[in-house]
Amino acid sequence: MPDIYQLIPQRPPIVMVDVLWSANEAVAETGLTVLEDNIFVRNGHLREPGLIEHIAQSAAAFAGYGTFARGEEPRLGYIGEIKDCQLLALPAVGDALRTTIRLVAEAGGIRLISAETKVKNEIVANCLMKIFLKE
Amino acid sequence: MERSELIAKVNASLADEFEVEESIITPEANIKQTLQLDSLSLVDMVAHIESEFGVKIPTADLGKILTFDALYDYLAEHA
Repeated sequence: MPDIYQLIPQRPPIVMVDVLWSANEAVAETGLTVLEDNIFVRNGHLREPGLIEHIAQSAAAFAGYGTFARGEEPRLGYIGEIKDCQLLALPAVGDALRTTIRLVAEAGGIRLISAETKVKNEIVANCLMKIFLKE
Repeated sequence: MERSELIAKVNASLADEFEVEESIITPEANIKQTLQLDSLSLVDMVAHIESEFGVKIPTADLGKILTFDALYDYLAEHA
């Protein structure tokens, strides 16, 4: 898999994906290890906006995999909508997040994705998200 | 599936999903205007069609499907 910086436009300290574990046209798996100096960590736990940002950047990495394969630069993505969102637990420092992103549908430059984030096989977050990818 | 049956199922399904009166869905009507779809919600219709009818509409084809009649034709061809 390509280096994550080849797939997403974000740069430290706002990078919320460490690795793209796998990807194809329909589904991707990403990872993030929560570090103490993560800007979304408070009192030893990754806060809710950090989980959402991790999912959004996972979706960006998924899209970036496609652009990388075509030899293009990663595109900026904007969250258009989040729905059916469940944040079930706040991962602790040291936890490894594993997120599965599935492409539900795509139209007019908008990608509808479903996301499920697990820590040690326990679901900590899931949602549907619309991402607008800037041309 | 007969075309009349397909039309009835599509109309009922979209009216329910997008909370519009089924009576305003006519073959010549513009899909986006009738279902009040904006750039964000258009993808919801694509997802709904795939979920309900098992037909994936690629972005390249979506631009050609402006009316419900065009949608019925597309589903009849690809279902």
